[in-house]
Amino acid sequence: MKKVVALLLALVMVFALCACGGGQTQTGPGPAQNPTDNAGGEQSGGEQSGGEQSGGSNELAGTYDITVWAPDAAVELTKQQVADFNSSNEFGITFNVTVEPVSEAEAANNVITDVDAAGDLFFFSQDQLSRMVLAGGLNKLGQGAAATVTELNDAGSLIAATSGSDLYAYPLTADNGYFMYYDKSVIPEDHIDSLEDILADCEAAGKLFAMENNTSAWYIVAWFFATGCHSDWTFDEAGKATGFDDDFNSANGVIAAKGMQKLLNSPANLSSSDVASFANGAAVVVSGTWALSDAQKILGENLGAADLPSFTVDGKSYHMGSYNGCKLLGVKPQSDATRAAALNQLALYLTNYDCQMARFNEFGWGPSNLQAMADPAVTNIALEALSAQNAYATPQPNIPTAWWDIAKVIADDVKAAGDDDAAIQAALDKYESSVQASLAG
Amino acid sequence: MNNQKRHMGLKAANRLSNTIIYIILIIISVIWLLPFIFIVFQSFRVESTWQVGYVIPQQWGLQNYINLWNSDFKRWYLNTFIIALASAVLVTVIQLCMSYTLSRFRFKARGPLMRFMLILGMFPGMLTMIILYRVLADLGLTQANAVPGLILVGVASSGMGYYVSKGFFDTIPKSLDEAARVDGATRFQVLYKIILPLAKPIVIYTILTAFMGPWGDFVFARYVAMGTSAGYNVAVGMYSWLTNDQISNWYTTFCAGGVIVALPVTILFLCLQKYYVEGVTGGAVKG
Repeated sequence: MKKVVALLLALVMVFALCACGGGQTQTGPGPAQNPTDNAGGEQSGGEQSGGEQSGGSNELAGTYDITVWAPDAAVELTKQQVADFNSSNEFGITFNVTVEPVSEAEAANNVITDVDAAGDLFFFSQDQLSRMVLAGGLNKLGQGAAATVTELNDAGSLIAATSGSDLYAYPLTADNGYFMYYDKSVIPEDHIDSLEDILADCEAAGKLFAMENNTSAWYIVAWFFATGCHSDWTFDEAGKATGFDDDFNSANGVIAAKGMQKLLNSPANLSSSDVASFANGAAVVVSGTWALSDAQKILGENLGAADLPSFTVDGKSYHMGSYNGCKLLGVKPQSDATRAAALNQLALYLTNYDCQMARFNEFGWGPSNLQAMADPAVTNIALEALSAQNAYATPQPNIPTAWWDIAKVIADDVKAAGDDDAAIQAALDKYESSVQASLAG
Repeated sequence: MNNQKRHMGLKAANRLSNTIIYIILIIISVIWLLPFIFIVFQSFRVESTWQVGYVIPQQWGLQNYINLWNSDFKRWYLNTFIIALASAVLVTVIQLCMSYTLSRFRFKARGPLMRFMLILGMFPGMLTMIILYRVLADLGLTQANAVPGLILVGVASSGMGYYVSKGFFDTIPKSLDEAARVDGATRFQVLYKIILPLAKPIVIYTILTAFMGPWGDFVFARYVAMGTSAGYNVAVGMYSWLTNDQISNWYTTFCAGGVIVALPVTILFLCLQKYYVEGVTGGAVKG
């Protein structure tokens, strides 16, 4: 009896192993997009597609099963837009599309987990570009596609989509910057240009000034760009950072830090970019266009939006700067060049004038398409404030992931340094050397 | 002072110490329950959907629960429930069989096997995440098929959690087994009819932990489901409402989801607690 059971168990194990093997061989050629992990090969596929696309041939005709990752709000619209593409394109391409809700902020995390299993097209915010290029998660644009994208889109959005000297993504929006939402019942209109006045108003009314200085380097740069500092990176072909040129630890940097301390030391300081803070005692929230509808719901008529204020150090006034960035549409590298070319066509379509206008009308996303930007209908108080701020903004370039983590502690260090110039200088030097060390590592 | 103390009778002293203990307990329970009460209140708040600075809603309603019903939450909940239920059943069976074997049988590799599993169990499970993902991906058990994948992962190593129940089985006298064997019971009947009824508390404990594990799983579940809503469990799904651009629309719905998620676990615990206490106080050997 025992022996029979032992034999049975052994057989079960053998079968289990066989089953695993079978499964693997099946899944290999099974799906249409036979995944390989040779990023180089796939990128050449993408370049081929550029050539094909300019020819406008019908070689692309066929039906493709694809997955698109779009933020929750945009799922329905994206389905609609792909359906429109199916009925209108001249190549005879039909996409059977599945649209999954994946936030732009989470796209890179998911793509890097497993490029093969990622969505074929995905919406993402530009700060993830560097990581995705390194992980081979983005298909480089072919020459034809790159020329079209360059011709149609705002220069700032092209910088955002570029790593090294190549375009890796299609600009979707050019509105990923920040400015100031404020409560008109607390801050009078003639005070909004001065940080000192605003802080005085907030303190007098027992209200808060919300700007996410303690957890996000994206907002911290506002102070440094105000005093004329710069922060630039260079990358090699593979997307690895090779050089860093930054003067946050210069004399101008110290001035910026002193300006920042005015907010950090005020009882009104709140480190947040969530407009829900308006419901919890904030009179000012530094945030972006995405928050407009929420802010309107909370403050209603009292909501105002304006460019960031100026701060005064040693009698001189500095207008706060900002990063102005983009949301991008990425295409996953494909092993099948025809499929890649078809997906490129779809990406071009989804980022064209009509689709960007549709997104503006539905969600207020500010377009990157030049024609759409020039459209007089494209405006609301958030976009007006953003374009006012854009005069002082720096286009956000491709930045390595490590920088965001190193730079986000600047505010804490600067606050701890107190009003001693040497201590502030030391805090900024520490930041500088940490970044240089990360580059070497 | 001394006089006063001496005058205080036994009853009064008891009352005083009880009062102090109760005050401490009440404070602790308030601290402990407050977040839960807060979530329950928020889930019935319908005047706004974002975070606010007050607890009691200005307007009460069920809109948040209706939103839940209309979202993907149903799917996530079902996924989680299937995973938790399947794990609870399979893990309990495997773990109890394992413990019984290691407690009652004597075979050659018993010692080395136990030591091996002990050492293997010391490696943090997270270390295996990447390779497990690869294996599951090759088997096609990720993304939309995450549910069977997560069950497989949850159940596969369950045998290694044998310590507690083996320890408990060891305390049940072997003479009971032997008596049953003399009366003609098979090994399985010994487990089923003699050991298990005596080991109720440990069975309940195993079921509870096996159910709770997948119920709250986040890291691995997120990894395996990877951007496919159909494969999310509740924790991963609800987390997707917490991104910057979503939270103001979903905050109160998130709270409603939290309440719904807490319900089955609370009910399960309340139901099983009766047996749990019964089993613990019942004792193993009578007479």
